[in-house]
Amino acid sequence: MTMETGLQEKVIGGKVVSWLAFLAMLFIFPLIWVGGLVTTHDAGMAVPDWPGTYGYNLFLYPLATWLYGPFDLLIEHGHRLLGSWVGFLAIGLCGAAWLYEPRGWYRWASVGLLLAVIAQGLLGGFRVVFDERTIAMLHGCGGPLVFAYATFMATAASADWKRQGVSIDTTGGVGKGLWRLSWCLLVATIIQLVLGAQLRHALPDTRPATFMAMVHLHLTFAVVVSVLIIWVAMAVRRKELADRRVFGGVRKPANWLLLLLVVQLVLGIGTWFVNYSLPWSELFPGLARYVIAAKGYWESMVVTAHQATGSLLISMSVWLVCRVGRRFVPLAQTDGLPTMLGSGMNG
Amino acid sequence: MRLIRKCGLQLVALISLVGCGPTVEKPHGYSYSPNGLHAASLARDSQEDMESASAVSLEVARYLEGMFGTLDAPMLPDVEVAAGVLDIQAIERCAGPVGRREDKIERGVYRKHCVVCHGLSGDGKGQSAMFLEPYPRDFRRGTFKYKSTPVGSKPTRADLVRTLRHGIPGTAMPSYRALEESEEFAEDVEDLVEYVRFLSVRGEVERRMLTKIQRDGETLEPTSQWPREIVQSVLQRWQEAEELELEVPRMPSWMDEEEHSQARELAIAKGRELFGSELTACSKCHGEHGQGDGKSQDYDEWTKDWTILAGIDPRERGAWKEMKPFGALKPVTVKPRNFQWGAFHGGGDAASIFRRIVLGIEGTPMPPVARALNGNPGLTDDEIWSLVGYVMHLGSEDSSKPVGGGE
Repeated sequence: MTMETGLQEKVIGGKVVSWLAFLAMLFIFPLIWVGGLVTTHDAGMAVPDWPGTYGYNLFLYPLATWLYGPFDLLIEHGHRLLGSWVGFLAIGLCGAAWLYEPRGWYRWASVGLLLAVIAQGLLGGFRVVFDERTIAMLHGCGGPLVFAYATFMATAASADWKRQGVSIDTTGGVGKGLWRLSWCLLVATIIQLVLGAQLRHALPDTRPATFMAMVHLHLTFAVVVSVLIIWVAMAVRRKELADRRVFGGVRKPANWLLLLLVVQLVLGIGTWFVNYSLPWSELFPGLARYVIAAKGYWESMVVTAHQATGSLLISMSVWLVCRVGRRFVPLAQTDGLPTMLGSGMNG
Repeated sequence: MRLIRKCGLQLVALISLVGCGPTVEKPHGYSYSPNGLHAASLARDSQEDMESASAVSLEVARYLEGMFGTLDAPMLPDVEVAAGVLDIQAIERCAGPVGRREDKIERGVYRKHCVVCHGLSGDGKGQSAMFLEPYPRDFRRGTFKYKSTPVGSKPTRADLVRTLRHGIPGTAMPSYRALEESEEFAEDVEDLVEYVRFLSVRGEVERRMLTKIQRDGETLEPTSQWPREIVQSVLQRWQEAEELELEVPRMPSWMDEEEHSQARELAIAKGRELFGSELTACSKCHGEHGQGDGKSQDYDEWTKDWTILAGIDPRERGAWKEMKPFGALKPVTVKPRNFQWGAFHGGGDAASIFRRIVLGIEGTPMPPVARALNGNPGLTDDEIWSLVGYVMHLGSEDSSKPVGGGE
């Protein structure tokens, strides 16, 4: 009877951890989106004080003044509130992990996530206190990294991770190429995001030639990321044909990456168009009549979506790395992720 | 391999830039960029040392801080007409870093909306400048393209508001109509116009001071009176502009008639005839069918300032690079408008097109037509309206159909 209760508690506890990790990841995405909107509308200093809002405690700022106030204030204060909510979720996850999670490394990783969320919040605060765009850029890069971290936590708490931890494939070397490829992709998507953040947060006295170099680099990495995603998709497809039972689980992140790549490329072109208009107006006369609306709804959405999709690509790459790692890297070898983070469920 | 190495080096260089701002003592301590390009151009023209001209431009920029303040703390020059021409409250609201003050009043409106293209000093060297064609406007020359005043005059406030409100189709210049329509940002457009006027006045004073020093050998002392005289003269020209606005005559009745009315067709046919005539020479640049494929290969005045006027041929491959260290961007020829796109940069309504035909587009090869006024020879107003009708017809979907009896 006691054993049964203990087991039941363990199962429920595991579910709580899993759900909290998933919710933390889920809510970071809109947080990134609203943060992107703050950047698009240059609203980072719409509230000149921090951690309060115009002298009020963050949570006590009058609702009507917030909701019916200026748009830049609406999104900046909203971003802060959403950030706090993510902070509470990270605290919850940390608490639940220390109560119910049997894996030691996961408990410490949940502390790491909480610290990352706090650090990210502090960066946002310092951006306001020092009114410094460079900190805003670091804050802009930090957000997607925290999102990636939360994705890892959610994946590591998922049933798929635990299941694969038990029935790991140990055919040594079969998936090594894919394993390396997915890591390359993850690194490339992070670099690409950092480059994008540099463009978004360029200082007002950035020289045109410097900015041009930054854009070229961003475009170069767009090609690198595209090639890697297509490569991953092809590799997964090839392996899946060989053994659907083992390789089927990797198809999902690979397909999502492919879909997001298409979306991201379209959004990238759109971002260029709503910012600079050329050269398409020269190539397609119909577009010559298009007038960009400054801070227009669609213009803002396209630019913000491009940035948010960049974060999603990182998140999906983390998911891919986790799934590939859990399937193809033999536990017996020492350079695999599961071994690094503790083997299987009972680590 | 070389490409990979190049990209790698670029990446390392760029990553090393992360966290490095400009070399200033405080976060927002940006300074006006001295007009080194104009100074170098003057020096080259008079065969003097271009490097020492940079020192002169720096000296002038510093001197101007005493008259116009800094980028974060602007002030009006201490001359009689200044307060009547420029609104310091609007200018202060647009200057400085973006954000809101403790009293929720917006600040830094210019940096929020304009700096990416037009640059902090209004020199047209914002970060995205190299992607844009035409390059973003350099306000410091005091020349504006789309206006209702004669060549050589300043634009009215309404002219600048019009450009901001409607934007420029097919270019990076957006429309700020949404700001005007929202209660919270309603004043932004008019305030931005005020700040653009301020930057333009400051920039033009800077240019004229440089000319005075480098060409006329004038010296700059703290007690010099001549800079004040320049400021006074520039401000007066802005003040006069409001009275120089061209009055657009009443539109002829055929413009209100249906698409294929006889009067309308006849007027458009007349316009087409004028378009191809020697009298207007429209087709020389805009092409026989208004597709912008004429033979013109000319540059705007902003480019000619530091190329032709400094003895550099902008068509000569690579010759312009001599001025690159002073901020020059690669010269680009002016593209005559393709009317068949129906996208008019200075406004597509009949009155705006009438104004552009009569006044030309300042700073570009588009000249004003000779208008028959007070006994002077030239086009009558009816003929100009016909030309307007034809140009608008070219941009309409109907333009493929023959007009006035076919081709």
